[in-house]
Amino acid sequence: MAALPKEIGHEETYLEGGGVLGWLTTVDHKRIAILYGVTVLFFFIVGGVEALLMRIQLARPDSHFVSAYVYNELFTMHGTTMIFLVVMPVGLGFFANFIVPLQIGARDVAFPRINALSFWIFLCGGIVLNLGWLGNAAPDAGWFGYANLTERYYSPGLNVDFWTLGLLISGVGSILSGLNFFVTIINMRAPGMTFMRLPLFTWSVLIMFILILVAFPPLTVGLIFLVMDRFFGAHFYDVVAGATPLLWQHLFWLFGHPEVYIMVLPAFGIMSEIVPVFSRKPLFGYPVMAYSTVLIGFLSYGVWAHHMFAVGMGPTADAAFALSSMLIAIPTGIKIFSWIATMWGGEIHLKVPMLYALGFIIQFTMGGLSGIMHAQPAIDLQQTDSYFVVAHFHYVLFGGSLFALLGGLYYWWPKVTGRMMSERLGKWQFWLTVIGFNVTFFPMHLLGAWGMPRRNYTYLPYMGWNHLNMLSTIGAFVIAFAILLLLVNMAMSLRDGERASADPWDGRTLEWAIPSPPPEYNFERIPIVHGRDVFWLDKYGLGATSHGRISGAAGASDVGVAALEAEPATEIHLPAPSIYPLLIALGMTMAIAGYLLWLRIALTGVFLTVFTVIAMAFEYPAAGAEVHSAIGESTGLDNRKVGIWSFIGSESIFFASLIATYMVYKGRDLVGPTAETILNIPLTSTTTFVLLMSSLTMVLAQDAFRIKSDRWGRRWLFATIFLGLVFLGGQVYEFHDFYSQGLSISTNLFGETFYTLVGFHGLHVLIGVIILSCLVGASYFGWFDERRRDMAVEEAALYWHFVDVVWIVIFSLIYLMRAVTKA
Amino acid sequence: MSGSAVGHLQPEVHESRTVPYLVVALILTALTAAEVWISYIPALLPVLVPMLLVLSGAKFVLVALFYMHLHYDNWLFSGVFVPFLLLAAFVVLVLLGLLVRYFSGF
Repeated sequence: MAALPKEIGHEETYLEGGGVLGWLTTVDHKRIAILYGVTVLFFFIVGGVEALLMRIQLARPDSHFVSAYVYNELFTMHGTTMIFLVVMPVGLGFFANFIVPLQIGARDVAFPRINALSFWIFLCGGIVLNLGWLGNAAPDAGWFGYANLTERYYSPGLNVDFWTLGLLISGVGSILSGLNFFVTIINMRAPGMTFMRLPLFTWSVLIMFILILVAFPPLTVGLIFLVMDRFFGAHFYDVVAGATPLLWQHLFWLFGHPEVYIMVLPAFGIMSEIVPVFSRKPLFGYPVMAYSTVLIGFLSYGVWAHHMFAVGMGPTADAAFALSSMLIAIPTGIKIFSWIATMWGGEIHLKVPMLYALGFIIQFTMGGLSGIMHAQPAIDLQQTDSYFVVAHFHYVLFGGSLFALLGGLYYWWPKVTGRMMSERLGKWQFWLTVIGFNVTFFPMHLLGAWGMPRRNYTYLPYMGWNHLNMLSTIGAFVIAFAILLLLVNMAMSLRDGERASADPWDGRTLEWAIPSPPPEYNFERIPIVHGRDVFWLDKYGLGATSHGRISGAAGASDVGVAALEAEPATEIHLPAPSIYPLLIALGMTMAIAGYLLWLRIALTGVFLTVFTVIAMAFEYPAAGAEVHSAIGESTGLDNRKVGIWSFIGSESIFFASLIATYMVYKGRDLVGPTAETILNIPLTSTTTFVLLMSSLTMVLAQDAFRIKSDRWGRRWLFATIFLGLVFLGGQVYEFHDFYSQGLSISTNLFGETFYTLVGFHGLHVLIGVIILSCLVGASYFGWFDERRRDMAVEEAALYWHFVDVVWIVIFSLIYLMRAVTKA
Repeated sequence: MSGSAVGHLQPEVHESRTVPYLVVALILTALTAAEVWISYIPALLPVLVPMLLVLSGAKFVLVALFYMHLHYDNWLFSGVFVPFLLLAAFVVLVLLGLLVRYFSGF
C-alpha cells in the first residue's frame, strides 16, 4: 500500500481532519474502531428496543400488544442483532481494533484496507439482516434458524432469505477480521514482545480470532446449503429426500458454541486488564491465565453438541459432549480464581471499570454454574427450550460479556476520546444496570423451572407466571434507563468532559504510554519491550510489581512514551486511504442479496466486486516502502504470506464441512443416478492429471521469477492458466453430461452434494485463473516492482496448490471410492 | 527446514529447483495412475478405502512439502497450516461419526 510520510512529533490526533470522505475512506485502525463502535451502538439500541417490545408483550397474560407474527420477528432479530451485530463486533471490531495494535506496539494492523473492508461488509450484512423490517418480512425462525423450519415450504416469504444472506455477508467480514488480526498479533509485535509478555487482552482476542477462522466456515457451509435448498430446489435438510435437519444443527452449533467464546473471550481479556490496574497488582498466575485461554479456545471446538442433547444422539455422543462441556469449566474457573487472587491483598480502587469487573465475576459465575447444569444431559432435557436457558445465557452474555464490555468502555474511553466520563453518572449507571439485569433475568430461572417455554408468544393467566413476568418487564425498563444514562454520560463527556491524561488509571500496558487520544501514527518510535506489563515496569522499575507506585517515581500523568526504550526515530509511513473497501462491500452485498430483488442487481454486484478487488490489488503498484512495512517485526516473515496460509487453513475447514456432508449423504439416495452409475472416471482422471500438471507449471513459474527469468515466468503462468481452463472445461462438460442424463441439483442427495462440492472447487479454480491472468498482465506491463511481484506470485501459487490438494482429496473420496456405497 | 522464501528478511535463494519439482510431478503422476488402477480391481474393494487414503495422503503431502514449499520455508507456516488441517480432519470424522450413527439408529 502507498505510504504517506508523517512528520514526527506532529500533534494531530487520529480524530482530526479528513471530513466525511476521510471517514468513508479511512484505513486507520482507530477510526475503523470508531465506525464499528457507532454502528454497534445503533444496533444495540435496535436490539434493546426489540427486547423491550417483547417484554411488554409478556408483561401480562393473554396479551396481544404485538401479533404472534411480529413476536416471532422480534425474538429472532433480538437474538441475531445482539449476537452478530453487537456483542461479537464490539469485541472484534471496536475493542480489538482500537487496542490490539496499541498494546503490541504497532502502528496499524497487518492489512489496513482489509480492516476497512471487514467493517463495510459487516455494516452491509447488518443492513441486509434488518431490511425485512421495511417490508414486514423480518427474519422469524429464531436466531439459530433450525431446519426444516427455514425451508421454503415452511417459510415461503423473504424473512429467512434476509437472515441467510445477511449472515453470509457479515460472516465474510468476520473471517477477514480473523485473518487480519491473527497475522497482526503473530507478526507485528514490537521487539521483545514475546508471547509470555503479551497483554492478556491481546492473548484473549488472538484465540478469539483463531476461533473465528475455524468456526465460521461450518456456518458458511450450512448457510450455503440453506441457499441451495431455498433458491435451487436442493434438499440438504429435507427428511423426505433422505436427508436430515440434524445436519444444520451440527453445522450451526459447530459454529455456535465457539461463537459463545468468541463473544466471551474479549470480555475475559478486558477483565484481565481492568482487575490488575485497579488492584495495583500484577495479574495473578499470568502463564496459567494464558494457557487457560488457549485451552478454552481448544475445548470450545469440541462441545457443540451439548446444544443438541434433546434431539437424541445416543448415549456415547451424549457422554462425550457432556464430558467435554464439563471440562471447559476448569480453565474458566481458573480465570475466576485468578482475578479474585489478583484482588486479594491489592489496593482496590472502586472506579466504574472495576465495579463492572466485580459485577462480571459474580454474574458470570452464576451463568457459568447454570451452564454446567446443562452439560448434564439428563438435566438438560428438563431445561431445554425453557426460560431457564434464557436466564442462563443472559447471565453469561449480558451479566458476563456485556458487563465486561461496558467496563472496558469506561476503562478505554479516555484513551479513545481524550475525555473522562463522569464517575458519578457511571456509578449510577452501574448500579441501575446491576439491579435491572438481575430483576429482569433472575426470575427467568424460576419461570423456566416452572415450565414456561422460551419463545412463547403469550400465556394463560392461571399458569402462575404473571408476577414474575411483570417483574422481569420492570427490570428490562430499568436496564433501558441505565443505558440511557450511559448515552448521556458519553454525550456529556464528548461535549465538555474533563481532559484525559495519557495514563489516567495508572495503567500497565503500552496503550497508556501514548497521548490520549493517540496520534494517527500511534507510536512516534516503536517501543522495545523488556518485560511483562512493560509500561508499569518502565514507570516504577523491576521492584514495583505490587501495591502501586514506588515513592519518588514519576507521576503517572507525567510519563509518556519518551520514557520507554524505543527504536531509533525513522520516517513514519502510514497507509493511504482507499475508497475500494467500501465499493467492494457494496459489490458483494449486491451480488449476494441483489438476487432477492432483481437478477441484474446481483450480476452488477459480481462485476463490481471483481473489478474493485482487482483495482484495489493494483491501487498502489510500486510502493517501495511496503516491502519493509509488510515484514513482521516479531517473526521476520511477510504478513501477506502468513495471511494466505491462515486463509488456506480456514478454507480447509470450509471444504472439510462440504466433504463430510457428501460422505454422510453418500448411498442415501432414494431416486436417480448415483456416484457408481454416473461418474466418468477416464475423463476425470485426465482432468486430474491436468490439474496436477498445472501445479508443476505454477511452481516452475514461481521458480523462473525467483531466478529473474521474467519471460519464462510469464510462459509458465500462461501454461498454468491454460491447464486450469482445460480442467474447468472438463468440469463444464461433466456437469452438462450429468444434467442431460437426468442428474440435477434437486434430483437426489448425490446430485446436490456433488454439484455443491465440485462446483465450489471449480469456483476456486476459476478465481485462481483470474488471479493468475491479472499477474500475467501486471508482470507484462511492469506494474510490480520485483519483490512485490515475487510475493504476489508466491501467494497466488499457494492458493493454486491448495486448490490442487483439495482436488486430490475430492478425486479419491468422490470418484475413486464411487463403488463404496456407504460412508 | 532450511533457508527461507521470499518475504523473509534473510537473503533469497537464487538457484533453480526445477529437478526436484519434475521428480515430484512424476511421482504424483505415478500415484494417480496407481489410484485409478486399483479403483478398477473388484478384489481390492474391501481395502480400497485405506489404500486410496494412503495414496491421496501421499500426494497431498508431496504437494504441500515441495510445491507449497513447507519443506523449504520457515516452520511457522507449517505451524499455521497443520493445526487447521487437523481440525478439518476432526470435523470430517466427528460429523461422519455422529450422523452415520444417527442414520443407523445408534
